Amino acid sequence: MRGLLVAALLASTVACSGSDIDDLTVFAASSLTDVLPDLAAEYENQTGTTITTVFGGSNHLAAQLRDGAPADAFLTADARLLEQVATRERLVRFAANRLVVAVPTGNPAGVSSLADLARSDLRVVVCAETVPCGAATSEMNTTIDADSHEISVRAVLSRLSLGEADVGIVYATDVASEPGAQPAWPQPEACPCVTYTAGARTYWALPFLAFLASPAAQEILVRHGFATGELD
Amino acid sequence: MRAPRPILAAASVAVIFISLPVVGLLQRTPWSSLDELLSRESVIQPLLLSLLVSVIAALVVVVIGTPLAWTMARVDLPGRRIVRALVLLPMVLPPVVGGTALLFALGRRGLIGQWLDRWFGLTLPFTTLGAVVAAVFVALPFYVIAVEGALESGSDELEQMAGTLGAEPMRVLHRITLPRLLPAMGAGVALAWARALGEFGATITFAGNLPGRTQTLPLATFLALESDTEEALALSLVMLIVSLAVLIPMRDRWLPGRRPDQ
Repeated sequence: MRGLLVAALLASTVACSGSDIDDLTVFAASSLTDVLPDLAAEYENQTGTTITTVFGGSNHLAAQLRDGAPADAFLTADARLLEQVATRERLVRFAANRLVVAVPTGNPAGVSSLADLARSDLRVVVCAETVPCGAATSEMNTTIDADSHEISVRAVLSRLSLGEADVGIVYATDVASEPGAQPAWPQPEACPCVTYTAGARTYWALPFLAFLASPAAQEILVRHGFATGELD
Repeated sequence: MRAPRPILAAASVAVIFISLPVVGLLQRTPWSSLDELLSRESVIQPLLLSLLVSVIAALVVVVIGTPLAWTMARVDLPGRRIVRALVLLPMVLPPVVGGTALLFALGRRGLIGQWLDRWFGLTLPFTTLGAVVAAVFVALPFYVIAVEGALESGSDELEQMAGTLGAEPMRVLHRITLPRLLPAMGAGVALAWARALGEFGATITFAGNLPGRTQTLPLATFLALESDTEEALALSLVMLIVSLAVLIPMRDRWLPGRRPDQ
């Protein structure tokens, strides 16, 4: 009985380790929440390999990886983070995104310009600087009177769709996927832009990186509102 | 009494299990730069805010929790089991779920929150008051079960006697019930305060995260872990010391283990 228990424990450890050719564990920035399942489905179609996805703030995911969390690949908008976690190979700039000033659908507070971000009577929500969308936000060099620094871009988006915030800064792709939020005003292709980098941590993830650069994957990314990056 | 060996062994495992993470924290703490770390505004500000929020939350918990515990223990309520389950719910509910539920109830478009906003211009999310609300939500059950437990286990003979001798119910409560209840109230408030101090999930979901307004120690620690490990360790040490400073002296005087009348 005891032997059986130990065997079961061992088996579950092995099953969780992520180094399995038939199932990849992919850690991904939360702004990829909508597109990655589509990419994973296409990848499974092509190769039969299933993908388990874990989403979160990039910094938080990187911290987990540094602490030994099992993941075959890490997709992030902060390429510097990939230097902190061991990777075998990287695919730089497989997609690009840009920030937009977004509001709850219908723009109840009548936000119309960047100057509104400094208004103290509005509830303004942005990403914490520790995550890539927050770093990009601070690169905008706009005065922002923020009421909350959220831990991921998805948290900002949910503040908007729930109507708790009047205005927030998120990625263009986030607004495109969320019926409860919209751009505050038409914002043409403006930067600061962020680019996504993929890092493979195990041998098994190398084909997945190649897949991300393939026309099929790039087409899915574009459909979700991402710009295709200049692949290196 | 001499404890049987297997029991001692198992108890030691439990103690080691609990203290090991603390030891892990202490051995990684950057002692040499601690002075500088602890004088940072980014450490002091969340500490003061956390003390403010948790102390106010503990006061609120006593004010609304004591009547609740008394009612649950002494009054024959219909559906008492359901009330008790509801009151204890925040103990088992993931705090993030609690925070989301608070948003749907007290957020700007929430059930009650929309009226608070419309009539009084009061919105709780993104305010210190919102952080207090989140803390009260998670801490209340810890106080209520401590006090209710004491009320249920203690007999109400004295109270009945005082009643038959003609004392008004409020006078009985004031002169007999409450004094005998003080140790349990002390224990309950210590637990509730500690829970409020450590609150993370409901706070970040409901109240948000802004330094000086809603960024309490646990939130500051979480964010620092992603950017500045040394500062995160310093923040953790502060939480550890503040918690132990309150819980250790409480042990003898307040916490359960000796009967109030002994």
